[in-house]
Order: sequence, then C-alpha cells, then structure tokens
Amino acid sequence: MDYTKQIQEIVAKLFAEDKIDVFAGYRMTGFDENQVPVLIQSSGEVSRLVFNDKSVFNLCNYLKYDHTRNKRVGLVVKGCDSRSLNLLLTEGQVKRERLYIVGIACDGVVDEQGNKMQNCEECMFPDALVYDELLGTQHPEGKYKVNSDIKELASKGLVERRAYFEEIFESCIRCNACRHSCPLCYCTKCCIDQETSKLYNGANNTSSAFHALMTWSLHLAGRCVDCRNCEKACPSHLPLHLLHKWNERVIYENFQEHLSGVKEGDRGAFYKYSLQDPDDFIM
Amino acid sequence: MEAVANNQLVSIEKPEIVAPPNWEPVIIGILCNWCSYAGSDLTGTSRIQYPPNIRIIRVPCSSRVDPWFLIKSLQTTADGVLVSGCHPGDCHYITGNYFARRRFLVTKKLLSFVGFHEDRVQFSWVSAAEGPKFAKVVAKVTEDIKKLGPLHLYKKENFDK
Amino acid sequence: MNVEIFVTDKAGLQKFYEAIIAKNETYAPVEKFGKFDFKHVSSLSECDPDSPIEKTMSAKPLFFPRSAKILKYTADSSGTTVKETDEDPLAGKRVILGMKHCDARGLQVLDKVYNWDYIDSDYQKRRQNTVVISTRCDKAGTHCFCTSLDYDVQNLDAMDVLIVKGQDGKIFIKARTEKGEDFLKSNPIDSANSKQHPASEEEMKKQYDAFAASFRLKMNYKEINENLSKIFDTPEFENVSSNCIGCNTCAFICPTCHCFKISDEKIKDSGVRYKCYDSCNNGYFTLMAGGHNPRPAKYRRWRQRAMHKFVYYKERFGENLCVGCGRCTISCPVNISIFEVVNQVAKSEK
Repeated sequence: MDYTKQIQEIVAKLFAEDKIDVFAGYRMTGFDENQVPVLIQSSGEVSRLVFNDKSVFNLCNYLKYDHTRNKRVGLVVKGCDSRSLNLLLTEGQVKRERLYIVGIACDGVVDEQGNKMQNCEECMFPDALVYDELLGTQHPEGKYKVNSDIKELASKGLVERRAYFEEIFESCIRCNACRHSCPLCYCTKCCIDQETSKLYNGANNTSSAFHALMTWSLHLAGRCVDCRNCEKACPSHLPLHLLHKWNERVIYENFQEHLSGVKEGDRGAFYKYSLQDPDDFIM
Repeated sequence: MEAVANNQLVSIEKPEIVAPPNWEPVIIGILCNWCSYAGSDLTGTSRIQYPPNIRIIRVPCSSRVDPWFLIKSLQTTADGVLVSGCHPGDCHYITGNYFARRRFLVTKKLLSFVGFHEDRVQFSWVSAAEGPKFAKVVAKVTEDIKKLGPLHLYKKENFDK
Repeated sequence: MNVEIFVTDKAGLQKFYEAIIAKNETYAPVEKFGKFDFKHVSSLSECDPDSPIEKTMSAKPLFFPRSAKILKYTADSSGTTVKETDEDPLAGKRVILGMKHCDARGLQVLDKVYNWDYIDSDYQKRRQNTVVISTRCDKAGTHCFCTSLDYDVQNLDAMDVLIVKGQDGKIFIKARTEKGEDFLKSNPIDSANSKQHPASEEEMKKQYDAFAASFRLKMNYKEINENLSKIFDTPEFENVSSNCIGCNTCAFICPTCHCFKISDEKIKDSGVRYKCYDSCNNGYFTLMAGGHNPRPAKYRRWRQRAMHKFVYYKERFGENLCVGCGRCTISCPVNISIFEVVNQVAKSEK
C-alpha cells in the first residue's frame, strides 16, 4: 500500500485550483521508518507528503485545532479515520463543504515493529466511508468479530480482572495523551480538568487514573471507532483498547448492532434509544 | 485467611481486604426528582422502615446521571450505588429514562469488566406511588452489598476520618 | 582522587546486585506492558537493571513524584486545622539500580532548581538518602544525543556508583562519591571475582569512546543556544509546532521537566493538598484567575518549552536543561523530535 505519488498529485492540483488552504497528511520523520503528521500550507511543500502502511495516526484529530479551524482543509482518511470524521460531521464539529477528503481503501497499517495492527486484522470497514476521491481497490465489508483480548480477559475471574486493571491504573501517569490524541475528544476543556468541580481529582495517582480512564472511556462509549490513536500515544503502553472494545461489544450486542460512524447522520449509541433495549437488569 | 475463618467479611473483588468489625456499607442513592424521590418520600411518610445505609441525592431526571457520577461515588466513599428513576414511558421529560437505560447497562457492564462486582451499581424504576417498593429495593441493595464486602477504596486511605 | 576500581565478571555483578537487593530498600526498572518503570523490588528476577533506554521511563518520579502530599487539613465550624502529612514513602534510605546516565544528569538539573531560592526539604531528604547506581549504556538509542550537550557523561556527580561493561565480559565498578565509597564498603563485591586492574581506567575510557562513537545524532549546542536567544519572534516556531497535539506527554516523561501545580482534594470537611506534575504545553498552564492567558497559542507554548530547555535555564544556571535522552521523541504520539525542532529553528532567520 503506497499512495505517495497519487496523493502528491492530488494535493498539487488542489492547491493549483485554490480549493484548500491547508492539507493534513504524513511525512517521513527523516531519521527512521516512522512518519509525522504534517500540515501543508502551500504547493511548495507537497513533495514532503507520503502515504504507506506506516501512516498510522488518525488525522481527524487535527480538525479540532486553530490551524484548521474555519479553513478549507484537505486530509487523508483511512477506513477507521473516516468513521470518526463521520461522527465529527454528524456532531457538527466540521462542515462538509470545507473539507476535501482523500479516502483510502486501506489494506491495514503496521506498528513500529512492523506487525499488522490488531484493529486492522479485525477491521470491518477498511475503505473510507466518506470521501471526495478514493484511492485503491475497494474491499468487501467485514464481519463483526469480538476482540480476542476481550474474550480472553472476560473468561477470567473477577479477582483476576480487578488485579489486572489495577496494574493498568497504577501504570497510568495521567499525562492525558490518550485524550488529546483522540479525534472525538474535542471539548475545549475536559470535564475531568474542571478544577472548580466537586468531581475534580486533585491528585495524580492510581485513584485519579481510575477515575479519568473510566470516565473517558464511558464518554466515548458508543462513539469510539477503534482507530487506536490513544493506545499508540500512551507513553506507558497501556492496553487502552480493552475498555473501548468492551463497550463496543456490549453496545453491539444489546443495542441493535450499533456501530459508530458508519453512516453520516448516525449519532453515537447514547444519543438515541429503542423501546426494545434490555430492561431485565433494572429492578 | 484467618479473618475469613472467623466469618469476617472480605471484599469479593480483593480478598485481602477485610471489613472492620460492625462494618456497614455506604450506598449512594441517586433518585429522579419526579418519581423515585417522591417514592422515597412516600416510604417515609408511610413510616415504612428501610436500611439507613443509603445517602440520597436528588437529580432532575435519571438521564441527568452521567456514568461519571457512579465512578466518582465508587472512587470516593461509596461501597455501592443505586440509581432510580421513573418507569419506562412515565418520564417527566417523556424519553429521559430511555436514554438513561442505555448508559446504565454500559456502565454496569464496564464496571464488572474492570473488576467490580455487577451488584455494586444497581438500578430500579420506582414511581411516586411505590413507597413499599422503594423500601424493598433499598433493603435488597443493602443486603447485596453487605454480601460483597467493602470496596477497596483507592482514595479513602488518604483522608483522616 | 584515587578511587579503587573493582573488576568483576557477569556472575560477580549478578551476585553484587542480589546482595544489594537483599540488604537494602532497592528500586529498579520493572517491566509492565512492555515499558520499564522504576519500582520497589525484592528480588533480581523481578527487574532488569540493563533495560533498554528506549523502553525505560526516567527515574525522576522517585525524587519528584507524580503527586506528593503537601499537607492535610480539616475545616469545620470551629475553624481550619492544618496537619502534617504522613511520612514520605520515598524519604527512607534506599538504592536505585540501573539508572541511566541521562537520569543521573537530570538529577543534577533538579538539584539546582530545588536549591536555588527555596530549599525543598522533601527533595533534599530523598536525594541524601539515596545511593544511585548507574550503568553506562553500551550503545546509543535511536533518539539519544546526550554526548552532544555541555556535560561530561563520563563524570557525573549525581552517580554514586558507576558500572561500566568493558570488553571480554569485564565489568568495572567504581565509586564516584563518598556516599558511593561507603556503600561499596558495606556492600562488598564478591572478592573471588573482583580484583584490581591497573589499566581499568583506560579500558573504561575505551568503552566510553566506543559508546560515544555510536551516536547517530550530533548537535552543536553552542550555536543553538546563541541562535535561539536571538530569534524569539521567528515564525518558524509556528511551523514546527503545527502538528503538535498539545498532549503534555513530553513533559511528564522528561527527566528534567520540573513544573508542578498545586491542587486540593476534599471529601466532606477534610482534604489533602497535592503537588502534581504540570506541563507548559498545557493550554491552561498560564491561565490566570482574571481570564488572561499569556500563552494562548500552541506555538508560544512550544517556544517556551524549547527556549526553557536551551536558553533560559542556561542563562540562569549555565547549562542546558535538556539532557538529550530522547524520551520525548520516543513517547510523542506524532513523533516530533526536539532535536529536529531546535536545529530547524536555530537555522531559521528572523
């Protein structure tokens, strides 16, 4: 999967036709195989753009910063990225007419060690769902698979699971990189950072990590698109996907097979309801 | 293990945590203003006894309850949480409790996944006319949580009582 | 100073470590989720003192914890009572194994900050009661550039005991401070394996040269210091910071970043006051109570970070704040390299 040339041509054309002000893509770091997201403002920089299976970061994250706000933005999206873009469009965070979307029919990306990422192996929508232009050959839609880590962990006992998650909360350093790298966390000030709130956590310890991670994952439940930006960002390498994939599974199994961001206009699972929702756990 | 032999209560999630003698659980009750809070009022005015372990917080609607509140309660003082609202179809705001129902299920399942027993957070529909039901619900929740033992509180240890 | 250099082999070093862990409160890198963090250990099998630099968190939290209690208080109708906190869990006598040279250098930076106008007694106590045992890396990591900065990696004062892995499996152990000498006396190296070697100093030097030659990144810090101080208003900062997502990770894992915030946690009428990490990359870091924010834009925060590392600290204390460990580059979600950024900015014209 290498669309470097095509993307460079497209972006050069877009700048020549004055269709965009800024383009979000990837460039090489210059010192290793990895890539850095880059915001390109003029046609002179187009040659820096690359795209291959190391282009992991979800660029929809950049739609929330000043550099792109109120500008005409072009960006590259893979299947998972396009789902988060769909949600951003639905939730009114970006305007479709300001975007030029280069969609990718993605064959899966790899991590720093060169192994295919876990979410790519279980991916249901590898092709961009919203685009102005699609690169690559389209794939058939995948089937829903329960994440293997979830399956394994759910089969363990309560005590074991508690001990395992306590380790996760202990290793969290509360840098909030997970939140900042999430394309769907666009609040200007996060609720867990409101110092004046009674619910605020002053300390930076296991307790506050539990509070922050659980709150964050519940606020993303029914919206998370499994792009794994958070997990890639975590300096402690915490398996944050566990929380999201578990929520995704509960929501898929209980709420009419809801999957977030698949259609434009389809809101998160918590923004709608059905009379048939399970009721048996309520007294 | 000695403590267990003496029939002392241990936390079901962390067996190394033993309840102090005469331990009583603390339960946070988050009740909707229009049904459950009025229902609990009726329980009181009807002079029906229910366990005093519950601390009641009144909210406008059960859909006002962010899962965050449950997390925070468990993190600070509570051993269990009860959230109660109007019966489906009776919501003062027409559909609030349908939205709340979805959140409750996900919150409950996530908490049980990260190692908190399912019964730590419980939900009920109690209408303004169901005084006896409210007493029964509180009795059941208290009973359940007494069985589960104390929740290991990450935070309580930081504070002097 | 003519200090004894002990020579031993791998088995001897292993025994030395085991004896230390058995005898002392020891902290060493413990692997969790593929990342090494310094934790209290009770046996050598739990930890890996030779953990790779790319995967090891800094040892800063052992001296400047992520959140430390300052005081406790209760407030009721009779007034507010302030109480001392419990005993500091990090203040006791302890040993740190497997600390990297960059972390040791980070301690020297923190020493200056905490001994400047206000003497932080908690930090002092933690520092005085700790014996730092540092192993020199065999080879530079991908993002390391510690040898390019203005300090002597071979001779750091913060290391009490230095361990160098020479050629042919020889391992040199040398005390660098009085604390280290006393420590080696009370924790002797297995005498069957250890012996004096006249040419040890030279062999250690040789290992250092091989280590220094393995660096991929090299910079001329003097040029960068000088250029950066002149180009405060360069638009280049806006370019290099445009893809930063403002996540604070770089500051949280940096061995020298020392900004903190004070926050309260309260239940009912009693509360605790904490000192927690904060970062200048955080948009609310400089926000004042009146609503004014002197650094509202991302590039200004980035400029502050780069300038503090390479200009402001240098002006005040005479050396760079950055130790060149490359941890921020490794942990950055979008792979921004501070090495690349300062070089690029320093080259730009005003």
